[in-house]
Amino acid sequence: MNTDVNMHPSSQLLNQFIQGELATGKSIIVSAHMELCKSCCAKAKELEALAVSSWVDPSIAPQLESPSATDYSSMVASIVQSAQLSSEPVEEVVEVQMDVLDDSIKLPKVLAKAAQQGLNWKQVAGGISEAQLILDDETQCEFIYMAPGSKVPVHTHKGSETTLVLKGSFEDELGEYKASDFIVRDTQHHHQPGSKEGCLCFAVLDSPLKFTQGLARFMNPVNSYTFKKAISKAVTS
Amino acid sequence: MYRNYAKQEGFNTEVGLTVRLASMNNSSQSLDAEDTVVSDESLLIAVGNHQDVNAFNQLFERFSKKIFALGMKLTRNEQLANDLIQEAMLNVWQKAPLYDLDKGSAKGWIFTLSRNRCFDMLRKQKRQPNCVSADDIWPPESGGEPTTLVHEDRGGLEVELSLIEGYFDQLSDPQRAVVEQIYLHDRTHEEASAYLQIPLGTLKSRLRLAVAKLRSLIGVED
Ligand SMILES: [Zn+2]
Repeated sequence: MNTDVNMHPSSQLLNQFIQGELATGKSIIVSAHMELCKSCCAKAKELEALAVSSWVDPSIAPQLESPSATDYSSMVASIVQSAQLSSEPVEEVVEVQMDVLDDSIKLPKVLAKAAQQGLNWKQVAGGISEAQLILDDETQCEFIYMAPGSKVPVHTHKGSETTLVLKGSFEDELGEYKASDFIVRDTQHHHQPGSKEGCLCFAVLDSPLKFTQGLARFMNPVNSYTFKKAISKAVTS
Repeated sequence: MYRNYAKQEGFNTEVGLTVRLASMNNSSQSLDAEDTVVSDESLLIAVGNHQDVNAFNQLFERFSKKIFALGMKLTRNEQLANDLIQEAMLNVWQKAPLYDLDKGSAKGWIFTLSRNRCFDMLRKQKRQPNCVSADDIWPPESGGEPTTLVHEDRGGLEVELSLIEGYFDQLSDPQRAVVEQIYLHDRTHEEASAYLQIPLGTLKSRLRLAVAKLRSLIGVED
């Protein structure tokens, strides 16, 4: 069973990541997983080598003509007037230490950078809190904290939901997921994640969750609302 | 060094891959035949080591169309794809002194620079928050040792509080005290009113106000 569940990004997703085809939220969650996963780094290196060889292969790459009006000589002339760098630019190191589940964890670097905009935790359902990040205009991105023993109401996804576990674990009908696991769920999954020991995750949603059961129904408009708000903030900021 | 730039033939003219070694005479590469195809790596090192404009022109001819194609694929916009040639090749010029063979093939190095500049260009164009740049997402050292999530022991209740701090901060002190008693310490109304030394009715009305405030903060309509 659960052949469609992967604890790592698929090759297709890794390839899109390498090619720069993913929106910011998805790029960040893949990057954060890679910071925690040697095997995906190795796989990404291979995929990048393939991407580069097809990029330079004239038989594969379309021979596009760029607009002839552009004066490339003057472009080159102005470029070579620029100063060159003598050393790598000093990288600004951002560290985010997060206290969670009787412990403190250091976020993967890329998530620490993203979290610089500030985390505003809001409780969304019993024992579950989330802090949204505005990263692009296509997805809703958030840290999710599930207190020990909490359960997300049964829901389906309109689009896909990608989750990276940072601390603790959660489980659903298809398995149990622990730190560094990368989980993708789409419309086919009708699931109810719960967390016995509690967990901290980072998640990227293509569209809002749709709750399907009982009292949780009242959450529906709320979810659409926060989703739209996240989108409009990204567009107008 | 800047002044010896000579006007090149048109960009769209198909150029051969041979270059005269005259431009490479200070390079550490030893190439014996004048018609040898100079590798991308040698050109890039010449640009980095002595601002070799001729070598840069060769790189420009070899890669600008490919950068344009990458830009078209990612932006579907001719103007942006054209801007990407400028952005990416400028970056190649600026960062060439930092290139060495340990960083892999020159084409791989130029590919990642181009992809990263395209990513940042698109984010800027869509006015997305700039807290994260392409260089954070594809760090140069990626592929090294993976980070481990570092742990330290912390106390339980403080933990819970710090997570929802931002949300609690918007309550008044008396409201927060009531919410903490009921929802964090799990006390009954009677226990909480005894602990806080306030009448039961006051506790209930503070709790009602606090919950209403919290509900409005998370966007639940009454
Ligand atoms: Zn992995």
